[in-house]
Amino acid sequence: MNEKTVEDIVLEIKDKSELMIDLAYSSLLYNNKTIAKEVYDLEDQIDNLYENLQKRTLELVENKKLSVNDALTVLRLAETAERIADAAQEIADIELRDVELHPILKMSIRDSDIVFTRVEVKDNTVLCNKTLGELKLASETGMMVIAMRHGNKWLYGPNKNTKIEPHDILFAKGPEDGEKHLIDLANGKTEEI
Amino acid sequence: MKEKKKLKIFGRLQRAPKEKWKKEEFSELEYKPTTVKELLTEMKDISELIIDLAYSAVLFDNEDISEEVKYLEVQMDKLNYDIRMMAMMAARTKEDAEQLAGILQVAEAAETISNAAGDIVKLLTKEKTGPILPKILKQADEQLFRINISNKSKACNQKIGDLRVESETGMRIIAIRRGDCWIYNPQSDTNLQANDWLITRGTDEGYKELNKFLHGELEVLE
Repeated sequence: MNEKTVEDIVLEIKDKSELMIDLAYSSLLYNNKTIAKEVYDLEDQIDNLYENLQKRTLELVENKKLSVNDALTVLRLAETAERIADAAQEIADIELRDVELHPILKMSIRDSDIVFTRVEVKDNTVLCNKTLGELKLASETGMMVIAMRHGNKWLYGPNKNTKIEPHDILFAKGPEDGEKHLIDLANGKTEEI
Repeated sequence: MKEKKKLKIFGRLQRAPKEKWKKEEFSELEYKPTTVKELLTEMKDISELIIDLAYSAVLFDNEDISEEVKYLEVQMDKLNYDIRMMAMMAARTKEDAEQLAGILQVAEAAETISNAAGDIVKLLTKEKTGPILPKILKQADEQLFRINISNKSKACNQKIGDLRVESETGMRIIAIRRGDCWIYNPQSDTNLQANDWLITRGTDEGYKELNKFLHGELEVLE
């Protein structure tokens, strides 16, 4: 753990905050409280990372391994990402309330340039038992998997070594014409990636 | 593809006048009846675009893009004001108000994001930042890339939607520079032209493919 550089930590905060936004919108779109709660967990993780980063950065400055300007840049970048994470939490908060969502919310999320989709992977389709890296799903369909459900286990922000298995449920985002391609692949309507 | 009814401040070719955002900031707020749904969609789209633009501005040390970020930030304030007005007028009962409060909360979050983006571009203007920022951003899974379109490429005079750039390569085009003009958040009916500079976001693999195609080394995207 101690081997992580401050650059690694900032990047982790940045990537996590962006994932949180996507998850937050997905939770509204699919009335999914599990995803909304994950956004809350990620926010806690980011708070810890941010505190750790502040400390590490100051230590580096003290030991003259990092210039003051670079340290400021790192901390400011992390601070903005932290605020983005807070915004994501605000969005997820709506799902966790006991108020039925206004239908306009879902319509707006559906209508925007980047669409979210949810699909179950059927048996014997090309997606089964392959990793995201092998499939090159993101670069071939434009759809980025942001979360998956495997039985009652959840995985958020999968990476290229994550394996897709039959009956996994994928939550993805991407362009409108990529959505259909992903759905067809998961349903076995097409084998061509 | 379904026809979307949307406000259109995106996808237009525009010259970047200096400090356009300042003029906007102090202009009179005008009440324009628009639906809450259109406003919210617009705010969500801006909040997603503005982050990528802000990082691009810092990564490529580009003043024009940072001006656009400031402009969008001001636009976002206005949209947030409009959506509050619309929501208040739509509320008739306590139940209405509860549901509309959720919408305003999303709108507020979108504005928070755009303000954060505004702060990212300030990293550019305050003090010239060292190479640490590009170094950090270049390690991300999804990165920002600049690509120039060669006149040999099959992409010339084609629409982005027809080329299916994003669904074939995963590369999202965030902005196009054409001469001294810019198109931010180009839409599927935006034409690409020779010598355009594209700012795109995506994976390394997607970048390699798109780069070959736009340099004329690849005939089709697939």
